Amino acid sequence: MRVPRRVSPLFFVLSLLVCAASVSAQQPKASEAEVEAVYIFKFSQFITWPGNARSAPTFDICILGDDPLGPFLDRTVRGERVNGKAVVDRHLARPQDAQGCSILYISRSENYRLRQVLATVRELPLLTVSDIPEFSSKGGMIEFVLQSGRVRFQVNLTPAEQAGLSMSSELLKVAVAVKSGGGQGSQ
Amino acid sequence: MLDMRHSPIAKRLTWINVLVSGTALLSACVAFLAYDQYTFREGLLRNLSVQAQIIGSNSVSALTFNDPQAAKTTLTALSSSPDIIAAAIFNLDGSLFAQYSRFPDAKVVDAPGTIGELETVRFTNREVMLLEPIVFQGRRLGTVYIRSDLQERTQRLKRYATIAAVVLLLSLLAALLVSAFFRRSFAQPIVGLAETARVVSQERNYSLRVPSTGRRDEVAVLIDAFNNMLAQIQQRDEALRHAQDELEQRVEERTRQLVAANRELEAFSYSVSHDLRGPLEIINGFAHILQMENGAAFDASARECVLQITGATHRMSELIDDLLNLSRVSTTAMHRERVDLTQMSKSIVDQLCRREPDRRVEFSAQECMTVEADARLIRIVLENLLRNAWKYTSKNQTAHIEFGCEQRLGRSTFYVRDDGAGFDPALADRLFKPFQRLHTTSEFAGTGIGLATVHRIIARHGGEVWAEGSPQKGAAFFFTLP
Repeated sequence: MRVPRRVSPLFFVLSLLVCAASVSAQQPKASEAEVEAVYIFKFSQFITWPGNARSAPTFDICILGDDPLGPFLDRTVRGERVNGKAVVDRHLARPQDAQGCSILYISRSENYRLRQVLATVRELPLLTVSDIPEFSSKGGMIEFVLQSGRVRFQVNLTPAEQAGLSMSSELLKVAVAVKSGGGQGSQ
Repeated sequence: MLDMRHSPIAKRLTWINVLVSGTALLSACVAFLAYDQYTFREGLLRNLSVQAQIIGSNSVSALTFNDPQAAKTTLTALSSSPDIIAAAIFNLDGSLFAQYSRFPDAKVVDAPGTIGELETVRFTNREVMLLEPIVFQGRRLGTVYIRSDLQERTQRLKRYATIAAVVLLLSLLAALLVSAFFRRSFAQPIVGLAETARVVSQERNYSLRVPSTGRRDEVAVLIDAFNNMLAQIQQRDEALRHAQDELEQRVEERTRQLVAANRELEAFSYSVSHDLRGPLEIINGFAHILQMENGAAFDASARECVLQITGATHRMSELIDDLLNLSRVSTTAMHRERVDLTQMSKSIVDQLCRREPDRRVEFSAQECMTVEADARLIRIVLENLLRNAWKYTSKNQTAHIEFGCEQRLGRSTFYVRDDGAGFDPALADRLFKPFQRLHTTSEFAGTGIGLATVHRIIARHGGEVWAEGSPQKGAAFFFTLP
C-alpha cells in the first residue's frame, strides 16, 4: 500500500480553494433520462457477464423501443471501454435482434409486449433494464424507480442468475429493493 | 551544575555515578520515545489509510449511483473505531456527499475536501486528518476524509513518561546504592588517608598510622607507603629528641661543674687575698718600727730601702683590696635603694682632695642625680671612675673632672669625663678586663683591676659601661643603670 505523505498546511489550504472553485462551476442538475443513461452504462462496472458473452468484439448497449435517452447514452459511452472492449450503443427494432447485446434497455413503449420481449431474451446473457413500473416483478432485472425526485433502481436477482450474470454486492447495496423470484417475487 | 572540583572524592563519585547512569538512561528513554512515536505515527497513518480505503471502496456504488444514504451507512460502520472523530465522502467536484460524526453536534468537516491524485495528511496537536482518493476501475470517483483523535498518542506519551520517570528514579536509586558501596570500598580508605595526613601535619603526631584496607590495590600501596614514611619520620624524630636530651643534660652538667669551679676559684682567691694581708701587715709594721726606732741612724741608702718597702707594701695592700672587692662584687647580695649619685661623687672627690691637697682639680657634678641601685656597689663604681680621672689628670697643671648625665638612645647615661692622659680608642675593649693596663705603673700607679670591678658591678645591675677617648685628649667613661 502507499504510505501517505504529509503535505504542508499551505498546500492543503490551496487545494481546498481549488475545490471550492470547482464547486461553484457545478453543472445544472441532470435530467431523469440523462441520469438513467449514465446509470445504464455504469451498471456494467458492477456486473460480471458469463464466459460465452465475452467473445463479442464490442460491448453493446441496446435500446428497444422509443429512444428517450439515445443522445445522452451516445454522449455517455463515447470513447468508453468495458473489459477492454469498446462500448457501442445501438437501437433495436425487434427483441429478436438482441443477440450480442450486453445490456438491453427496454423502453416504456414496449410495455404492451413486455412479457414476450423478456421471454425472447431470457436465454441471452444480457442485463435487462427498464423504467416500466413493476418491471422487476415481471421478470426484469433492474427497474428504475423515482424516489423523492431522484432516480433509484430495484433489482430482481432471479432472472439475472438465470442469464448467468452475477451482480456485485456493491450494486445491490445501493438498490432500493432486491427481489428474487420469477413473476411475483417480492423483496 | 555544581562546582565539583573542591568537593570530597566520595561525593564526586556519587555524582559521577548518578550523572552517568542518568544520562545514559535519559538518552535511551528519549531514543525509545522518539522511535515509539515514529512507529506509532506510521501505524496510525497506515491504519487510518486502510480504513479510508475500505470506506472508499465500499462507497463506490453509492457514489456511482448517487446514493448518499448508502454512503452514510458505510461511514457509520466507523463507530466501532473509537478514535475516529469524523469522516466524510466528497464528490469528485468537491461537494460533500456523505458524512459521519462520533459526536452528533460536532462539526464534521471544517472545509471541503481536496481534489487531485494526492493523498494528504495533516497533523494537529490533538487530531490527525487524512484524505484518501476513491478510485474505481482506474477512475477517480471522489475522496474520503477521515479525522482521528490523537488521545491514544497522548495517553501513550503519558504512560511512557510515567514509566520512564519510575525507571529513572529506580536506576538513580541503584546508582546511589552502588556508589555507596564504592564509597565504602574505594573512597573510604582515601578519605581515611587524607584525614590521617591532616591530623599528622596539624598535630605533628607521627605515631599515627592509617588502617590497612586488606586489599592489594593502588590505594593500599599508597597507604603502606604513607605509613612507612610516618614510621621513618617518627624514628628520626625520636633519635633527634634523644640527641637533644643528651645534649641538654651534658650542658647542664658542664654548667654545674663550671659554676662549682668558679665558686671554688673565687673562694680561693678571696682566702688567698685575705691571708696575704696578714704577712703584709707584719712587713709594713716592722718597716714602720724600723724607721721610727732606727731612722736617725740610717744613712740615705738604708732610708731609701725602708721607703721602698713601705711603698711596696702599700701598693700590695691596695692590690689585695681591689682583688677582694672584685671577688666580693660577684658574690655579695644586692640591695637596691635610691642613691644620690651627686652627693656620693662629691664626698669621694673630697676624700681625694684631702689625700692630695696640692692638686689643683676643678670638679663639677650635675645636681640631683639619683638611681635605684646597691649603694655600696655603686660607690665602688664611682670611686674607681673618679679615682681614675683623678689619677690620669695628675700631670695637668689644672685638671677638670666632670660627672653628669645625658640621654642617649632614650636611656639615662651617666658619664665621668676628664681632660687627662686619655687612651688609644682601638684598645678601649681591653680597659674593662682584669690586669689589663694601657699605661705602665711607672707612668700611672694602678692595679688594673678597678675598671674590671666597675664592669662587673654595672653588669650585675643589668646596665652597660663603655669608654671614649683619645691619647692626650682626656677620657670619658659612660654607664647606664636600668
